[in-house]
Amino acid sequence: MTNEILLQLLAAFLFTVGMLVVLLRRDTIMILMGIELLLNAANLSIVAFSKSANMIEGQVQVFFIITVAAAESAIGLSILVNLYRNFGSIKTESATTLKG
Amino acid sequence: MSPVIIILCVISAALAVTMLFTKSPITSALCLLGVLIMTAAIYGLIGEHMIATLQLVVYAGAIMVLFIFSIMLLNLTDSENDFKKKPFVFILGLAAGITVFGSIVYAILNHFKNEANDKTLGAFSSETVLALGGNSKVLSHALFSQYYVSFEVVSLALLVAVVGSVVLAKRKVD
Repeated sequence: MTNEILLQLLAAFLFTVGMLVVLLRRDTIMILMGIELLLNAANLSIVAFSKSANMIEGQVQVFFIITVAAAESAIGLSILVNLYRNFGSIKTESATTLKG
Repeated sequence: MSPVIIILCVISAALAVTMLFTKSPITSALCLLGVLIMTAAIYGLIGEHMIATLQLVVYAGAIMVLFIFSIMLLNLTDSENDFKKKPFVFILGLAAGITVFGSIVYAILNHFKNEANDKTLGAFSSETVLALGGNSKVLSHALFSQYYVSFEVVSLALLVAVVGSVVLAKRKVD
């Protein structure tokens, strides 16, 4: 087993755990953290593949992904503050205004 | 395969699992911070110094400070354990996770098995990057020459995010 396979396996594991955090947890802030973990796993996979193929396009791509992730978490956290202000809780089951 | 990378991988996997199963949001945030720092260390060890620095400054610095700040601002306490309340959902989620992990691992092993036949290498091997002045210089040169349009577009996206988050946080919903 080489370094590349180990890093790809770690990226797959982190991706799975991030997906489980998004699926199973009921706090909105935990869901946002799960999304960060998913993005981090994807970044790790891209950088490892790009490194093993002697390219730098992957690193440039990861630079943009990190920037967009920063923007996404800023927007997401301000939505979360709004949610807390309107419903008094950040649980997903408390935001039921649109429920028919 | 260096033993340091193995240790970092094991630590970050354990921190990720702790993040999934712990109750308090602040523990989860600190575990996520640990995972991000371990990933930055792995980037540094395989020679991607620029990405490692960015990961430390932007992810482990800025984004995690935002998360911990909002946890403390909203004064979140321990959430009751979601898993005990809904064991059926938990088992279903675990099955989905095992399926996704299994298929990704199968794809990875398949890729590395066939890699020897059809591997096309790029121009930037470690020696070439070193001769051109190091990882940061090569990456910055690519960013400001070949990809400058994308760079400007991403800066516009950041501006939109700043304005959008201010507007969202100030708005009063009736």
